[in-house]
Amino acid sequence: MTMAGHDRSGLRKVRLYGVLIGLLGLMMLPFYAMFSSTLKPESEIFAAPATLVPSDPSFQAYLQVWTQTDVLLWVGNSFIISVGTVVLTLLLAIPAAYSCARNDFVGKRTFLLAVLVVQMFAPVVLIVGLFDVITQLGLFNTYLAVIVPAAAFTLPFNVWMLYGYFKTIPVALEESARIDGASQLQILTKIVLPLTKPALVASITYTFLYAWNRLLFVLTFLTDSAKYNIPRGVFSMVGALQTDWRMMLTVSVIGIIPLLILFAFLEEYIVAGMTAGAVKE
Amino acid sequence: MSLAEEYTEASDGSRLERGLAYVQRNSRAYLLIAPAAVFLLAVVGYPIIETFRLSLYQSPADSNIETFVGLQHYVEIFNSDIFYRLLWQTGRWVVVGVAGKTLLGLLIAVHLKGDIRGRKFFRTAFLIPWGIPYAISAVVFRWIEHPQFGYLNAILLKLGIIEQGIGILGNPSLAWLGVVVADIWIGTPFMAIIFLAGLQSIPQELYEAAAIDGAEKWHQFRYITLPQLKSVVLIATLLSTIWTFVSFDVIWTMTGGGPISSTATLVIHIYQVGLQNGNLGRGAAYSVIGFLFLLVFAIIYLRIYTRGGDEL
Repeated sequence: MTMAGHDRSGLRKVRLYGVLIGLLGLMMLPFYAMFSSTLKPESEIFAAPATLVPSDPSFQAYLQVWTQTDVLLWVGNSFIISVGTVVLTLLLAIPAAYSCARNDFVGKRTFLLAVLVVQMFAPVVLIVGLFDVITQLGLFNTYLAVIVPAAAFTLPFNVWMLYGYFKTIPVALEESARIDGASQLQILTKIVLPLTKPALVASITYTFLYAWNRLLFVLTFLTDSAKYNIPRGVFSMVGALQTDWRMMLTVSVIGIIPLLILFAFLEEYIVAGMTAGAVKE
Repeated sequence: MSLAEEYTEASDGSRLERGLAYVQRNSRAYLLIAPAAVFLLAVVGYPIIETFRLSLYQSPADSNIETFVGLQHYVEIFNSDIFYRLLWQTGRWVVVGVAGKTLLGLLIAVHLKGDIRGRKFFRTAFLIPWGIPYAISAVVFRWIEHPQFGYLNAILLKLGIIEQGIGILGNPSLAWLGVVVADIWIGTPFMAIIFLAGLQSIPQELYEAAAIDGAEKWHQFRYITLPQLKSVVLIATLLSTIWTFVSFDVIWTMTGGGPISSTATLVIHIYQVGLQNGNLGRGAAYSVIGFLFLLVFAIIYLRIYTRGGDEL
């Protein structure tokens, strides 16, 4: 390659990374605004106009937040709700997806398409009817009031994800186990599920995030503040007249840290889940 | 044995008997999908029916008395100015939001496609806004746009673009823009990731051939990338349209639909009327109208998804 060619491709690289870093910077600005504000003392956070860089950064807010807010309770509730939703969804989705992948029966296509339609049926347009169901089932103000609808709306993704994956596992494996005298349940838990790990991880991550992030169900079905999750807790800190921005933003930072850890480790699975319904190979 | 053969195998006996025999032979298959099917019928199917029923009643949330009013709610809705204002506000919210997410997502994806060092890092970083609680993103944007202490005003003042702080979210003609920016920020990563996956599935040879023919970058994008990406763009924008249409958490946390209902969309109005004001019947009628929109989207999606008689 000539020198000029080298220069041109070098220049292109610089421009490419320049644009990428610029775009990333743009997308990260809100995080900067959030995080830098939590490092300011109370006097500075209410400075007008705002200081773009904290003059005397300190982590004081991160020491105060545990006693001044219920953040620990909210994080705990978020975990209960997310884990509960994951368990319930998987208990329903695994048998259904397995059945559809291994059998041919009348109604299978209808079931799978109906499930797909549920995915588009956003809970907010259903909220009035859902309110009725939750009250009639006596679930109002229990964790289940959030877990049950969250499981229903994550079920479609789970069924399709697992169904698609189960189909790729050779039936021969299961048949040889059956000849060895393994029961149906043993075959599922000992042979099929371990092979399904990538799809399971994608399903679990998706469901966990869905339950962690949504405000609507908690806002509507839980009035007991002892059961608030992170989004609801943050929402409750927005005051009509006064808002403790410093504490609220600190709670926000704490509320997304578990998710950042999740992203760092499971990024590939999350991406696999996101693209599952939209990009066909 | 094929499905049809199996079904018609028992030629004698009534349809019902044959049906029962069929279910019995396949009982394990049905038993395994039963919990999921029953659960969805109870938690999604029943509320749909209940919503339709309620929309025909006058039903205050704080009493047990329901009065049948027929189509009165619908007649009143279609004769009200609010409804048409909501349609307009929902329309601009969806169009601007989806356009912003699509363009920004495409821009990111195109730059992430090549031989990038640290692509995993970039991809993870770009993903974050999509994966954190909407309510948190909403309060952060509220803070950025704060009339006195917000960063946006501080920057605009520094650059000399404005002379005194502006209150975006308190201004009925600006507030929706202040909210849609947050929604675009949240929805962009999904588009970027989908487009990136789509771009990576385009055969590299197409570009190599074009490069040999001396096609410029823009022409390559216009005549190779866009046509190859068509179905991915179609699905992604459709999904994004649905999600933007039903976006609740962001609007509710940033403005609650105000000021003077200027940021209310159809779904925000459902919540205000049905649950906040406790007018279940009217809220249900608005929900049914929301269903119809979603139904149209769902039909388009299913048609694209099952196009060409793909095997399920």
